Amino acid sequence: MPRAGADPFLSLQELVSRLLHLHFRDSKTRVSGDALQLMAELLRIFVTEAAVRGIRQAQAEDAALVDVDQLEKVLPQLLLDF
Amino acid sequence: MEEGEEAEEQQRFSYQQRLKAAVHYTVGCLCKEVELDKEMPFSKQTIAAISELTFRQCDNFAKDLEMFARHAKRSTINTDDVKLLARRSNSLLKYITEKNEEIAQFNLERKTKKKKKLEDGNKNPREHADEEMVE
Repeated sequence: MPRAGADPFLSLQELVSRLLHLHFRDSKTRVSGDALQLMAELLRIFVTEAAVRGIRQAQAEDAALVDVDQLEKVLPQLLLDF
Repeated sequence: MEEGEEAEEQQRFSYQQRLKAAVHYTVGCLCKEVELDKEMPFSKQTIAAISELTFRQCDNFAKDLEMFARHAKRSTINTDDVKLLARRSNSLLKYITEKNEEIAQFNLERKTKKKKKLEDGNKNPREHADEEMVE
């Protein structure tokens, strides 16, 4: 499964690793394997929370779908929780 | 000299774009699961917004993690740093701590299994010799 390079189909852990390394300020910084797995889980929760909270908002508003308007309303609390 | 720098900038930009595309795809998959579970669809703009948000949040996470490790005088980020990252919400911290133990336990079991296999291999050279003869 893990195919790197121009292919968007990286394994999840490979993707998380590359995302983190993109923003490190020091080239010597490394990430332990366990920490990488934990970060992948944290990011998965982040996305899922955003999605689920968006849905809750849309349901509260009786909307037919989750649009950016609904997402905007749940964003502040989401960012405070993370 | 300037041309070299420009080419490097472009390379970094296109690499970033490819990563963003990978994030967008993964976010799309995750949202699809939630969508099917709760039977409420997401607009394309919403998926794009969550994807952009996640990408930018990684910037904050990465820099924080790096600083936590540096503060502890390490150059390798470990799970303690990740747990610090999850400190803002109690339920999140609890979940991450539990997940960390799960991961540690799973990896420990994998290591002991591997070790056992190696040990068994060393202890029974005769059995292996028999197997070879049969083949």
